[in-house]
Amino acid sequence: MDISVKELEHSYNRGTPFERNALKDINLSIPSGTFQSIIGHTGSGKSTLIQHLNGLLKPTAGSIQIGDFLIRAGEKEKRLKALRKHVGIVFQYPEHQLFEETIEKDIIFGPLNFGVPIDEAKQRAAKLIKQVGLDESYLERSPFDLSGGQMRRVAIAGVLAMKPSILILDEPTAGLDPRGRREIMGLFHRLHQEEGLTTILVTHSMEDAARYSDNIVIMEKGGIALQGNAEHIFADSDALKALSLDVPETVQFIHRLEERFNRTLPQSVFTLDAAVDAALTILQKEERS
Amino acid sequence: MQNIIIGQYVPGQSFIHKLDPRAKLLTAFLFVIIVFLANNWLTYALLGAFTLIAVFVSRLPLRYIYNGLKPILLVIILTFLLHVFLTKEGPLLFNLGFLEVYEGGVKQGVFISLRLLFLIMITSLLTLTTTPIDITVGIETLLGPMKKIGLPVHEFALMMSIALRFIPTLLEETEKIMKAQSARGAQFSTGPIKERLKSIVPLLVPLFVSAFKRAEDLAMAMEARGYRGGEGRTSIRLLKWSGKDTTLFIILLILSIGLLLLRS
Repeated sequence: MDISVKELEHSYNRGTPFERNALKDINLSIPSGTFQSIIGHTGSGKSTLIQHLNGLLKPTAGSIQIGDFLIRAGEKEKRLKALRKHVGIVFQYPEHQLFEETIEKDIIFGPLNFGVPIDEAKQRAAKLIKQVGLDESYLERSPFDLSGGQMRRVAIAGVLAMKPSILILDEPTAGLDPRGRREIMGLFHRLHQEEGLTTILVTHSMEDAARYSDNIVIMEKGGIALQGNAEHIFADSDALKALSLDVPETVQFIHRLEERFNRTLPQSVFTLDAAVDAALTILQKEERS
Repeated sequence: MQNIIIGQYVPGQSFIHKLDPRAKLLTAFLFVIIVFLANNWLTYALLGAFTLIAVFVSRLPLRYIYNGLKPILLVIILTFLLHVFLTKEGPLLFNLGFLEVYEGGVKQGVFISLRLLFLIMITSLLTLTTTPIDITVGIETLLGPMKKIGLPVHEFALMMSIALRFIPTLLEETEKIMKAQSARGAQFSTGPIKERLKSIVPLLVPLFVSAFKRAEDLAMAMEARGYRGGEGRTSIRLLKWSGKDTTLFIILLILSIGLLLLRS
């Protein structure tokens, strides 16, 4: 399902002394099956934006089109529940949403709400618990006996069990250790490729954004500051610095290497492996000349 | 979530905002007592005038006052109806088959409803124009003398300020969990009643879990910073009694004398 956001505006606490304009003039189009990253500082409106994508927040002005669902300011979309079936959101610290007695019951909560038969829901739970890196023996345990990282995985499984076609991730790796981060991001990337999910990742990590996304949006003070693919965004490190954001470490490293040896590489480098290869090429060429 | 105004301070610069919290607390307390002095139309009108002027002077949008009243409105209506139908005093006004309505009942109903209304309005004014922290500091200083007889006033005030401090946090948390569960297909505000009731469990369990966790974290953080409690602890907030506060008490005194003279 394609997503198209037009002239979206949102203000919190409308008509009170606490009124705050959180989003203004957002135009964004996310084609089906792409990986979109949203980057920005705390309070730049990232979370507000994604909550519009399944009708948790209503726009103050503008419209959001998701597949054939249309959410417009001042109008009531009656099929919100149907829309939410298609759009799964992994919120920040999703482990706070666990509530059931057993992990299995918690994972099947979403699917059952959307009318999936219980047997199928249970099958999904059994499959997903392995995908998120736990084993089936966990299904009968209480989610509150787990460690923070394990709870996170269970909560993520609970969202994936809905089989959404659009998956929204709000800083899914915040507070995890480096290994946990890699595993979780790897899982999302795999799902994105294997199941053709449209993935929207809200993140602070330039590395993650550079590595996985087709397109990147940089938000600043409720508006979109920069938009484009990773190469386009990270090529302009001055613009990023002006927004007090960093380019990914690998890009920084390669930039400095290029300057030092006065060479330019044909393409941008975002992953660690690619950076190592690029560094090797430069050094080898240097040796030969 | 939007219409709960406990601890919802609305910033402002009015006369009432600038009063010493102790003065406001004492006024609210005394008002609760003098409300019972009123027993005829004239005295109720006097109380009503005082309340309305106070609301006007506070320059709060009326919507806030109304929002504060909304949850209690049902109670007021119920009280009114009970009095109208059950008090059998004075001449009979009319007869609806099995229900008989007497003049005394209507009068009593109106009076009791007004009494409730005034009380809620004045106490809402207190919480709308005073920050929760100021209220707590006010209570602590007012109850200060009770320390002598061994009452844990400081601990009490601390408990209150913590509770007040966490109301917005818990509301925020509630909203967050509601959103997360809505995204998983739970229905809180639409759909059949049965569905909505069922969705309370997925809301309350995470809320309790996080509240307990928060409490534990807070206790730990306080201990780590060497919190010791009342004795010898100074406060960053110093309350200052000014002419305004004395004025308030003079007004209150005049009101009470007026009520005493006019009551029948």
